[in-house]
Amino acid sequence: MSNITIPSGRKLRIAAFLAVMGPGVIAGLSDDDPAGITTYSQLGAKYGYRMLWVLVISTFALIVFQDLGARIGVVTRQGLIGLVRQKYGARAGSFSAVALILANVGTMTAEFAGVAAAGQLFGISRYVTVPLTGFLISALVLRGTFKKAERVFFLLSAVFISYIVAGFMAHPHWGEALHGMVVPSMPFTRDAVNIATATLGTTLAPWGLAFIQSYAVDKRLTRADLKLLRADVWVGSALTGIIGFFVIVTCAATLNAEHITNITDASQAARALQPLAGTLAKDLFAIGIIGAALLAASILPLSTAYSVGDLTGSPAALDDKFDEAPLFYLTFAAITVVAGGLIMIPGISLIWILISSQVLNAILLLPLLAYMFGIARDKKLMGEFTAGKRALTLYGVIIAIVAVCVLAQFWFIFKL
Amino acid sequence: MVSLAGLIGRPVFGPDGREIGRLVDVVVRHGEETYPPVSGLIVKIANSKSFINGARIAVLTPSSITLSSARINLETFSRRPGESLLDADVLDHQIVDVDGLRVVRTSDLYLAPFNKEIRVVGVDISFMSFLRRLFPGSISRRPTPEHVLDWASVASLTDSTGVVRTSATRSALSQLRPADLADLIEDLAGREQGALIEMLDPALAADVLEEMEDDELEGLLRGLTAESSAKLLTHMEPDESAEVLRDLEEEHRESILSAMEIGTAKRLRELVSFDEELAGGIMTTHILIVKSSDTVATALRLLVENRERESSDGVVVVDGKGKLLDHIQTVELIGATPSSLVSELMAKPFPTAVTINTPINEVVEEFSNNRGSSIIVIDEKNKPIGRILADDLVDALSQNRNRFTQGGVSRS
Repeated sequence: MSNITIPSGRKLRIAAFLAVMGPGVIAGLSDDDPAGITTYSQLGAKYGYRMLWVLVISTFALIVFQDLGARIGVVTRQGLIGLVRQKYGARAGSFSAVALILANVGTMTAEFAGVAAAGQLFGISRYVTVPLTGFLISALVLRGTFKKAERVFFLLSAVFISYIVAGFMAHPHWGEALHGMVVPSMPFTRDAVNIATATLGTTLAPWGLAFIQSYAVDKRLTRADLKLLRADVWVGSALTGIIGFFVIVTCAATLNAEHITNITDASQAARALQPLAGTLAKDLFAIGIIGAALLAASILPLSTAYSVGDLTGSPAALDDKFDEAPLFYLTFAAITVVAGGLIMIPGISLIWILISSQVLNAILLLPLLAYMFGIARDKKLMGEFTAGKRALTLYGVIIAIVAVCVLAQFWFIFKL
Repeated sequence: MVSLAGLIGRPVFGPDGREIGRLVDVVVRHGEETYPPVSGLIVKIANSKSFINGARIAVLTPSSITLSSARINLETFSRRPGESLLDADVLDHQIVDVDGLRVVRTSDLYLAPFNKEIRVVGVDISFMSFLRRLFPGSISRRPTPEHVLDWASVASLTDSTGVVRTSATRSALSQLRPADLADLIEDLAGREQGALIEMLDPALAADVLEEMEDDELEGLLRGLTAESSAKLLTHMEPDESAEVLRDLEEEHRESILSAMEIGTAKRLRELVSFDEELAGGIMTTHILIVKSSDTVATALRLLVENRERESSDGVVVVDGKGKLLDHIQTVELIGATPSSLVSELMAKPFPTAVTINTPINEVVEEFSNNRGSSIIVIDEKNKPIGRILADDLVDALSQNRNRFTQGGVSRS
């Protein structure tokens, strides 16, 4: 081949990148964003070990669907929303785009809430931290210096690995933890259903599914890269689950044991880190929250803008100018501004936003998963990668579980 | 002009004005004409889908179709080669905008009577038209042709056979540079990739393939039939196709080779079997051989016949037993009397040759010693079997360097 050096160089970079910090790991760690940490903390603080099984199912579902998303991206060379439009028509495509945008605005709001909560730990008002964050992210992403910043955020959010250490130091009741993982039980109350749905929604987040697929398309990953990509996705998804597990266990062993069963602000959540960090728990928690929030907040508007471009058929990229890709930039701006604005509504509860946005995630997840199910079984689109009966059954079961959660959620909303 | 997206789902009336059914899809036939004519309609009557011949359309309005006779043919539709369903295959799908050199999505298609038939005349790719379709009622049916591409300037790539054959599109595609086409193909999904490749003239397609990245090419070949792959690889330079074949899985490689002409397959098999680190693995087998007893005119004729090949800068001269004697440049042949014998032109310096088992680094040494643009490869009996051009060597070296620098990162 006459131009062998250039592709090999590019492939080499992708290989190295994937090995260290692939999209799966990014998505995985971003799943442990402020909303994720808060939801898991709440689960552990309120219900101890008994609802760990919700996380087990959620993590399993995450692995299965991230893996499917990676495959769809590589095989079809199209983003999720574009494929839905192609297969199910203009209205279905728009509907899925709106669902994704709503879910992403919700999650983006949660990221801002995380930053605001972390700021409040140090007595800085959210009216300072939120606009500052919005500005910082837009500048970094739009000026293209995002790649370097991403590494910094990534490292900051890796602070949450300290939950693993804290988990051991808190001397949790491992037997009960194991029991909670494998024996499903929960009180049938509005609150328990709420937190279970939020756990599902924060772990298997809609934006993660769209992100992994458009990443594969955008980087032009081929079937040869699929093995590596899948490994990355599995590692990233498992990491989400492992960190989530230790957050829950730590909170169960500290907060729940101390009878702090309702977390109302970040300083309470931070106390879970006391066995490890002592008086520094608050600082460690704040650093982690800010890192994870910034990492996710940088990817979210970008991923959403990409999906909108995918819907219209003109996937845009950051190197396009505003008049070449107005929709791309408008989506980016809208997501950031709307989410930032919601946080600045006076008196709004940050914890409430953090949890509710993830419940919204779970609800909006349902149509997206159903579309993915349809695409997975489409021979014309997937060719030799078409899902078989067993895979489809698995997808179906997971979708049914999400549906049950959402239905229970609606039942409580309208009944009580 | 009628919007196809608006027409789908609308009523189909008989001549008496009674509703027969609802429109499901419109079938067009792709032939040599620029604007494909509607060959039929798929209509949902009661609970089954029926095919109605396009010739029976009496009136076409943006919101309904009226037929010229009420006779319903209840045969189920089966797609013939060269036909596509506009809603199922084209609308909302990716198409190639040949003028804009990009892959776009179809927002709408416009139908209009033209040259005695109803035809597809334009493809709408605008976002406004897409939004318009989301509205209920007649708004969704009103054509909004702001960004309409002429059907002749797009390549739609999906029908039952995977290929939409429009002569105008094909000729437009053939005007593109192979490198641009390679980029376009890499943007498309597997099925569409194959379709686009098959629209091209085999020689151009081979050039495009040579421009593609290894992984992409491997994926592309996996999507094609063994016959099409064989045809394409035959048109590529032998050393390039050998390189591609070498990277394929054995089963896949064999299926392609067995679909080739026996002689070509044999030569490629041999090339594939050579080690990439040795001269045999990077040489091209395309050499022009003349006997020393041939005339200059014969040699020149051979050169003219092979002028398309990159190895036509001279001829290799062998003796009666086929052993290597010399390499004579085209310039020298042109300067000589046509009736004179090739042997009269032979003179020092005689070409240095390497064997198929010479390691690449020794080939490099030979190159730097004799400063030629190519080096001849011989077998054990001193018979010439190929040549290594300077650019083959550059490719081989840069590839090796990458392999070394990749080191621990395994990408198998």
